[in-house]
Amino acid sequence: MLLLFRILPHVPRWFFGSLLLSVLACQYAVAQELQYNRDVRPILAENCFACHGFDKGKREAGLRLDNREGATATLDSGKAAVIPGKPDESELIQRILATDEEMMPPHESGKKLTDKQRDILKSWVVQGARYDKHWSFVPPTKSPLPIQANASQSTVHPIDSFVLDRLANEHLSPSPEADPTTLIRRLNLDLLGLPPTVQEVDDFVAAFRLNAEKAKSDLVTRLLQTPSYGERWGRWWLDQARYADSNGYSVDAPRQIWKYRDWVINALNRDLPFDQFTIEQLAGDVLPNPTEPQLVATGFHRNTQINQEGGIDPEQFRIDSVFDRVATTGTVWLGLTIGCAQCHDHKFDPIEQKEYYRFFAFFNNQEEPELTLYPPELNAPSLHAEQKQLEQSTNGIVADKAEALRLWEESLTTEQIQAFSKDNQKLIAGDKSKRNAIQKRSLYALGPGANDDAFQKELQRLREIEKLLGKGVSTMVMKERSSPRKTKLFIQGDFTRPADEVTSGTPAVLPKLEPNENGLNRLDLARWIVSPNNPLTSRVIVNRVWQHYFGRGLVETENDFGLQGTPPSHPELLDWLAVEFVERGWSLKELHRLIVSSKTYQRSSVDRADLREKDRGNYLLARQRRLRLDAEIVRDVELAACGLLSSKMGGPPVYPPIPQGVMGQGQVKRDWKVSTGEDRYRRGLYTFVYRATPPPSLTVFDAPDGFSTCTRRTRSNTPLQSLTLMNDSGFFEFAKALEKIIQTDGIEVAFRRCASRSASEQELAILKELDTLSAARALLNLDETVTRE
Amino acid sequence: MNNADMYQQHLLQQQTRRHFFNQCGLGVGSIALANLIAGSSDANHLDTSSNPLAPKPTHFPARAKRVIYLFMAGGPSQLDMFEHKPMLNQLNGQQIPQSYLEGKRFAFMDSSHRVNLLGTRRAFQQYGQSGAWVSDLLPHTAKIVDQLTFIRTCKTDLFNHAPAKLFMNTGTGQFGRPSLGSWLTYGLGSECNDLPGFVVLQSGPRGPRGGSILWGSGMLPTTYQGVPLRNQGEPILNLTNPESVTDSDQVRVLEAVRKLNSIRLAETGDEEISTRINAYEMAYRMQTSAPELMDTSDESRQTLDMYGIKQPKEASFARNCLLARRLVERGVRFVQLYHTNWDHHGGPTENLEEHLPSISREIDQSGAALVMDLKQRGLLEDTIVVWGGEFGRTPMGEVRESTGRNHHIDAFTMWFAGGGFKPGFSYGQTDEFGFGPIDHSVHVRDIHATLLHQLGLSHERLSVRSQGLDFKLTGVQPANVVHDVLM
Repeated sequence: MLLLFRILPHVPRWFFGSLLLSVLACQYAVAQELQYNRDVRPILAENCFACHGFDKGKREAGLRLDNREGATATLDSGKAAVIPGKPDESELIQRILATDEEMMPPHESGKKLTDKQRDILKSWVVQGARYDKHWSFVPPTKSPLPIQANASQSTVHPIDSFVLDRLANEHLSPSPEADPTTLIRRLNLDLLGLPPTVQEVDDFVAAFRLNAEKAKSDLVTRLLQTPSYGERWGRWWLDQARYADSNGYSVDAPRQIWKYRDWVINALNRDLPFDQFTIEQLAGDVLPNPTEPQLVATGFHRNTQINQEGGIDPEQFRIDSVFDRVATTGTVWLGLTIGCAQCHDHKFDPIEQKEYYRFFAFFNNQEEPELTLYPPELNAPSLHAEQKQLEQSTNGIVADKAEALRLWEESLTTEQIQAFSKDNQKLIAGDKSKRNAIQKRSLYALGPGANDDAFQKELQRLREIEKLLGKGVSTMVMKERSSPRKTKLFIQGDFTRPADEVTSGTPAVLPKLEPNENGLNRLDLARWIVSPNNPLTSRVIVNRVWQHYFGRGLVETENDFGLQGTPPSHPELLDWLAVEFVERGWSLKELHRLIVSSKTYQRSSVDRADLREKDRGNYLLARQRRLRLDAEIVRDVELAACGLLSSKMGGPPVYPPIPQGVMGQGQVKRDWKVSTGEDRYRRGLYTFVYRATPPPSLTVFDAPDGFSTCTRRTRSNTPLQSLTLMNDSGFFEFAKALEKIIQTDGIEVAFRRCASRSASEQELAILKELDTLSAARALLNLDETVTRE
Repeated sequence: MNNADMYQQHLLQQQTRRHFFNQCGLGVGSIALANLIAGSSDANHLDTSSNPLAPKPTHFPARAKRVIYLFMAGGPSQLDMFEHKPMLNQLNGQQIPQSYLEGKRFAFMDSSHRVNLLGTRRAFQQYGQSGAWVSDLLPHTAKIVDQLTFIRTCKTDLFNHAPAKLFMNTGTGQFGRPSLGSWLTYGLGSECNDLPGFVVLQSGPRGPRGGSILWGSGMLPTTYQGVPLRNQGEPILNLTNPESVTDSDQVRVLEAVRKLNSIRLAETGDEEISTRINAYEMAYRMQTSAPELMDTSDESRQTLDMYGIKQPKEASFARNCLLARRLVERGVRFVQLYHTNWDHHGGPTENLEEHLPSISREIDQSGAALVMDLKQRGLLEDTIVVWGGEFGRTPMGEVRESTGRNHHIDAFTMWFAGGGFKPGFSYGQTDEFGFGPIDHSVHVRDIHATLLHQLGLSHERLSVRSQGLDFKLTGVQPANVVHDVLM
């Protein structure tokens, strides 16, 4: 049945009906042009490549079937496995049709072809045995929509068109649309990571009854304009950026790079087109006259770990961070495990080790400085200049008055000295020759300078300026070196064993990046990654957005679009979306709007007996799926439900309560001074994350560790999560707040704050048997509260 | 037993350790929380027979009931620990004969791939009545060789860490398949109501590469996934009720949560809800059972010394070994200990001179103590202890400023103890360099089939249907129970 899609575009839509389909099914071998990657390669890969593939060591009978050259070569027997157009003379076809000991695959392999698979291979040989490039290396194109609008329906959403077509082929019917309460909750959680308020639910349900389509479209527009959108989808990107607030390795000192986090949130909220979003993060510093935010954006590749142990070779860890940047760039944008070629030629994908180091060279040419950002009202350059001038001037005075200072110091009595601050006491007692300018200045101000008005005036201004400049916030950025570093291939990925020098460049299997006279830099790479003829980037990103809405990508191996990855479940849909994404100006907001406005997205997530039988994993998308919320959002919905949630956005990370003893477990014990005021109740993505000792309530719900890029979170479901929601003091505090709501607004309202829908009589009866605190705790522990339905 | 009695039992369970042991050891069926509450009448009560972790009949009589798997993450060097190869030392620094390399693939393959043999610096000696060779890295293991079954010709297919670990755990290098522990709890259920059936303990500088997919449940329900305890400080957090919450408050909340979740389960048909219902029941029981499990103050000084535990509160492989014994004592089906990092390529942080000896010390005494402790307590009879990594290491050396060895998949050593494995027995021989097997190659699939067999399960029959196919731990390729290593 799978093979039918190809012909359907050419068939009038009223042809849909199982009777006609089955008639057509008998004719496919003639009517249909087979595609190697979609139809043929999976059969060969599963059944033949193990003994007739690229691996020389395991190849039998000298035959390889993984390329056309091998398949059509004359074998020792004088025959050829494949003679294009002539199945009867092709040994491959004769052997798969054989029933005796000649049969392929051989009995002892445990593999067996179906009749349909035999027919496909035969038809493929008849049609000329064409081999194609791996699907993801061929640029996506839009196929015609398989199902067009019809009389009963004025429009069919393109996504639905592809999905319904496939379902029809499998004789499955789609589930109905979810009810409006479920829909608004789903959209809120997916787009904002926050549940709708009770009022918002009521308003939406009322509007939905008047005009469902308009109500949905208005809702999506409103949500996409809500700043919380940037927080929810910002975390999606921060996972991939391996963002965290400490340096990692064993010392794991705190670092400051939250300005980058805020840049991501802001960029998503203003819908910075994804191509520009990419360029600024990979190469903002190389752009002509970069703006301050463009420099902050380069923090993307500063989210690597930094080893601060004593006695290490900094070059080793600098190179490790470059390895990480290469692997991350490959995974995040290209969906390729380029990192595998660090030590050897890639085993499965056509990427040579040398190509790896050419890619490496792009990231081998930068300094890793910090950038200090000042509030816009502050004229930092002028203040810096004034500061420098004042320092020179005051130092001059101190130098002139060195003798006076000495005499003053000698005149001091023990009592007088003891009245000074500890620091000054130390200075006076210490070695005079080791004092720096600031220390000298400070002592002079205390002694002979106390009555020097000119000096005091300058000193006061200097301190003012220091205070003003102290408002600056530093963040980690990239800075391209003016004199390039040479890049050499490292034998076995070992930095102590450099070999041939290489220049920057991209893998040959992908579209060519033309060299220019200055050599290629990160900006060239970034532009190449988002150039319209790059076959991977748009597919990879669209797939990774899709994954969030359906719990699984159209390509299940979201980080591997190479030969070892799984092929897409709906290839035409993936390609259609990828092309559309670029055509809509790489707008992520438009991509979100496109997906969530489909019926496929809006269907009920209730499981069905027939689907459980035929498509347990919901690969065919006949229904939606219930998905447990991400770690941070578990916190966010509970905070929202109990009314404590702070809406404050951005700024330094915060320290909500964590269990005792957690911070004592790293090599260096770190402080965790619990935040007060609203900072105690901020959204989960603002919680300070030490890589070595991450907050347990996030980790237990599968938050990533920030050691390497995370393109898909697992969704575990363990007793440890139950213990956290029941007993963790932070969550208990939320329960006490929800209890107050129960006492003032009633249990019905509290239920709606958690689950969005109204409770049934039966549910209310269960809750009303409990005291208010217990009822609040029960509500915050419901599966439904932490699930998007 | 009526409800009032059940509640009494619940109270008793809170109080008596003795009772707790009986509860677990005898494999009493699941006790739904509803039953723990006096006077509860509950229309939505789930039938206990639907408890996915209820003990299930085996395919045939079992020799073993549980497994402790000591996973040496990174790939320990069998040639410096168990494989005595004098030729390797004789030809140290010389090229391995080309005939050994034909058609082989290595993890770190490039034009300058090291082909020079590397002798071991370790001193080997034969021990016990069985005369097994063990190096000076493992003085404690050397003393118990007569309890162990060595398979010296283990074979895997994959030579990079994460895929190879996945292969060793799930029988495939691709994610999305159930791990051995999940298969066992799926096939056999759990004999302990108060702790998860599949527990993962971790030690070493970092978690194993691959992370939680190594103990994932794949296409089996998530109820069967491993429960990873924390690798630092307290293994499990949040075991006590919040301030001011009494135990009966707690039970009332849990009961309401269970009823409400059950209603939603009926409405949505989402299996994840039933997993969560089970998780809450387990969480509640763990509030009593886990502190008890982790409080090792009832262990004698002698026992702690035997394991080499100096600080019972400090996370270590040794403490995890003791916890593993305490877990299986309580009926936990599958306990997996990961210890990192065995990836000794040579170089400043992972070499054979310094780091292999130190990590060997970390596991030697406690691993041996675990086997002997189980034996003393009569548990070794029906508990299998497995020791091994995701692969072994090459006879050829990687010589940097310090030495190391590359990943090797053709022949490496694992050991097994208890559960019907032949004690004091070595199986499979490798060539003079320890490069390849000269007889009895034992593939990962064979190891899986053998373990399942000892637990009373046929690897041919233990399967789950997904996407129109029947998936098995051993996959579609032939797998054989290695009867030669069994009693």
